[in-house]
Amino acid sequence: MLDIYFVQQIINGLSIGLVYALMAIGFTLIFGVLNVVNFAHGEVYTVGAFVGLLLITWVAPPLLVVVLAALAVGAVTGVGLERIAFKPFRRFRDEASLRSRAMREATLLSSLAASIVAREVMTLVFGAHMQTIPQAYLLQRPIAIGPLSITNGDVVIFGASLAMLAALQFMLFRTRIGLSIRAVSNSPMGARFVGIDTDRAIIATFAIGSMLGAAAGILVGLYDGTITPQMGFAPGIKAFVAMVMGGLSSIPGAVICALILGVAESVTTDFLASGWKDLVAYAFLIVTLVFFPQGIFGVGRERA
Amino acid sequence: MNAPERAGLLAPPVLKGLLAVIVFVVLPGTLLTIGGGYLFQIATTALIFVILAASLNLVTGTTGLLSLGHAGFYGIGAYTAALLSTQLGLPFLVTLPLAGLSAGIIGVLVALPTMRLVSIYFAVATLGIGEMIYVTLLNWTDFTHGPMGIRGIPSIELFGWRASSSLDEYLVVATTAVISLWALSRLTHSYYGNALRAVREDDQCANAMGLNVVRLKIEAFGISCFFAGIAGALLAHTGKFISPDQFRFSESINILAMVVVGGLGSLPGTVIGVLLLIILPEALRGAGDFRMIAVGSIMFLSILLLPKGLLGEASALDLLRRQFGEAWKSVPGSNVGWR
Amino acid sequence: MALKRLGAIVAMAVAVVAGAASAQTKQIVLGYELPLSGDSAHYGEAFRNAAEIGLADFKAAGGLPGADIVIRYEDSKNDAREARNIAQMFADDKSIIGVLGDFSSTVSMAAAEIYAKSGVPQLSQTASHPDFVKISKWQFRNITTQSYEGPFNAEWMREKGHTKVAVVAIQNDWGLSAASSFADAFKAKGGAISSIEYFNPGTRDFRSILTKINRTKPDAIYLCMFYEEGASFLQQRQQLNVAAAVFGASSLYNDQLIALAGPAVDGLMLSSNFVPTNPDPKVQAFVNAYNTKYGAIPNQFAAQAYDAVGIMLTALKKTGVNATRDSLRDALAQTKDYPGITGQTTFDPETREPVKTVVRMMVSNGKFSVVP
Repeated sequence: MLDIYFVQQIINGLSIGLVYALMAIGFTLIFGVLNVVNFAHGEVYTVGAFVGLLLITWVAPPLLVVVLAALAVGAVTGVGLERIAFKPFRRFRDEASLRSRAMREATLLSSLAASIVAREVMTLVFGAHMQTIPQAYLLQRPIAIGPLSITNGDVVIFGASLAMLAALQFMLFRTRIGLSIRAVSNSPMGARFVGIDTDRAIIATFAIGSMLGAAAGILVGLYDGTITPQMGFAPGIKAFVAMVMGGLSSIPGAVICALILGVAESVTTDFLASGWKDLVAYAFLIVTLVFFPQGIFGVGRERA
Repeated sequence: MNAPERAGLLAPPVLKGLLAVIVFVVLPGTLLTIGGGYLFQIATTALIFVILAASLNLVTGTTGLLSLGHAGFYGIGAYTAALLSTQLGLPFLVTLPLAGLSAGIIGVLVALPTMRLVSIYFAVATLGIGEMIYVTLLNWTDFTHGPMGIRGIPSIELFGWRASSSLDEYLVVATTAVISLWALSRLTHSYYGNALRAVREDDQCANAMGLNVVRLKIEAFGISCFFAGIAGALLAHTGKFISPDQFRFSESINILAMVVVGGLGSLPGTVIGVLLLIILPEALRGAGDFRMIAVGSIMFLSILLLPKGLLGEASALDLLRRQFGEAWKSVPGSNVGWR
Repeated sequence: MALKRLGAIVAMAVAVVAGAASAQTKQIVLGYELPLSGDSAHYGEAFRNAAEIGLADFKAAGGLPGADIVIRYEDSKNDAREARNIAQMFADDKSIIGVLGDFSSTVSMAAAEIYAKSGVPQLSQTASHPDFVKISKWQFRNITTQSYEGPFNAEWMREKGHTKVAVVAIQNDWGLSAASSFADAFKAKGGAISSIEYFNPGTRDFRSILTKINRTKPDAIYLCMFYEEGASFLQQRQQLNVAAAVFGASSLYNDQLIALAGPAVDGLMLSSNFVPTNPDPKVQAFVNAYNTKYGAIPNQFAAQAYDAVGIMLTALKKTGVNATRDSLRDALAQTKDYPGITGQTTFDPETREPVKTVVRMMVSNGKFSVVP
């Protein structure tokens, strides 16, 4: 006989995974496609959530408007972040530094520093406590399917993930800017040779990735009911892990791995204890990496 | 490195002697006269982090493997020392090396399967391992006391002499730190260290030259974890109370930031990075609520203005290029003109 | 908000200068280490606000003649490493004769080792670790210990006729002792514990735990967690339609809980030692002062800090102007029936554990109310 509780656990896991996936999509664009380590992505996510919340408390528009506003703010934040923490490290245009792409990768720490400052400023302005969200906006209304239960938030997040995934794939593979992003991703040197404005492509990547991050922030914030200045950190690590498991450049791969992680956590809670779920999730990561050193969906890459 | 022999005051032996005098005489003397147990506390913490950062520097700076889970091994060392001394009553002279050994052995065990991973895959694997260690320390309540932590760890005792004052503790930690630094410095400036640098610069080339790259990486990682364990034991015996949340991911990032701010691959740079990131938050106490914002801003400016770190041997950027660089070349063959 | 804070800093600076200027009055400094940045900053904020009011009230009531009392706040980020540094800094500063804080047990205990060594009386408003006061004779705390609250709730649940209870607890020192003292008492009273589930701090998704608990069909669930987790837990309980009644420890008591989780909180039963609607004039005076000054209703944590400061200052008053660390410690140890807003406090002379009274509360129609 099928254990109904176990099925519910799988569903719980899938919905946890969807949250990671939603965050991983924006991540993968910047980390994976552009190959820039951006520790401040979690803060973009938080900014999106706070802007959405401010809008909700002041104007109370429909959810779609809130998401659109988050998208807009995300784009601005992304461009600003790029300008502050990434652009200064691309100051050399000579062939050697472009070829080594060295300057850009110093951003590991510049983005970490930017994220500390952003988080502390938000703590100072909003306080570290959980923000109150008007009940009507919470994406927590239960939807019963027989004995099983999901929420309207699961549906919204599933829809948003699908929409983001589709939009992104379309953008990357069917538009000029997507083409230039992929070109820069492959070889910024080559891209410059054929006349692509690499700066513009990088800014576009940041804008789009941060848009998705900010939208994820407000959606997940409403879904979890948790909006705090620290909210981006924990799911950020999981999204990072999912992205690497998926193989860095594969956005659908990251989504699938995020779901696997979520289900692994949920099933662990059922069989062991909640405290051990992270252990299993990370063990899963390491086993995956040992057997698929390039990630599950990674294309075979050259070793440097 | 291979700097020309300098004469006079700056000759290496003189310089080293001078540093030793500063660490063992001038600094504690000054601190004693200003009467600062507080300053001793900071100095002791800084020295523990010097060991930690220097050991991470061996892996990340010299060998070129980005590790995001160093705090986990620091925690293993601290817990080994704490459990051995509180449960079995072993003296400091035994717990210190055992803490290092246990962290080193676990480091090697962890490195065996993961060392074949390249670039960011390795970095994320270490992140996962660090978190696994934290979760284990937190949840294995029967063995580690879980979130209760371990309290009442005996203070340092050597042959019947008990380090009771801040000065005594400082001196023991300083001695350990200096010995560790010396060992790490001898290691990196030997042929062995050159082999590690070769691995960092180009592991395929190093392999072709007959170096056993995987073995070198595993050894370097094990040695690094050994010293992290030593640092953990010092923390346990000087702090007398440890709990899992002192060994979380954010601490790993702290240690990494110290190494990178100071300059990857350079031991003096690492020491300066530690001093900066330990002393800065304390010095900025006057800034009140704006303290962490100031720390973040200064960190940002130091990276912006000194992208190679304060005293970088390999530029930080070069390492990161190696860590994340190859992922760029997702189309096979596109790098023909490169190498 | 930032302006207000700037104002406070300026005011403090002025106070310090003024204190130094008048040579006749002796300045007595109390240290307060608390998280003012990082994840737990909002707790530290509440402590500081409450402490300011506590000090102002003390001065308004006559204060300590001949002495000017100043509280010096230092940010520990809720980080053990920072706390050790602060502890040493306070211990070195001979003008500091007593210390309040820190917030979490881990951090308080890391600092406590240094206070114990240097002989500084330390009074924490929240450190709940069972071993905290065992570190040395210098440690005190002003909290409801779980060895009292657990059995209190167990008794209540047995009265309500619950026989099978699942416990969900946060995986920290407080959660461990809260869960075990409740479970032991409940079993001793003839009930059965179907499971104890611990979750790591920071968890926000409890659906897996809820599903797991639901499988054993308990009559009730006992929550040992803070309001942030409580809000998520209760919402997800409603969403998964788990029927069991929910009881909780006093840590859940916070108006934010209702603001965050709305109708999902209805029916929650919990114990508390601080009730802002309590007609007691002391409580009302504090709640009003807090509300006027900071625009919020104080929660239990603020109240505990207010009482901790009150206990410290009362002990200080007893020792007089020439208070030393030793005399202050002895005076603290003799605290008896301190009439605080979190109930009467007496430090057991041997164990230095506070003895307190708690009340039963329930949430109905979006409001906390005392159950007679």
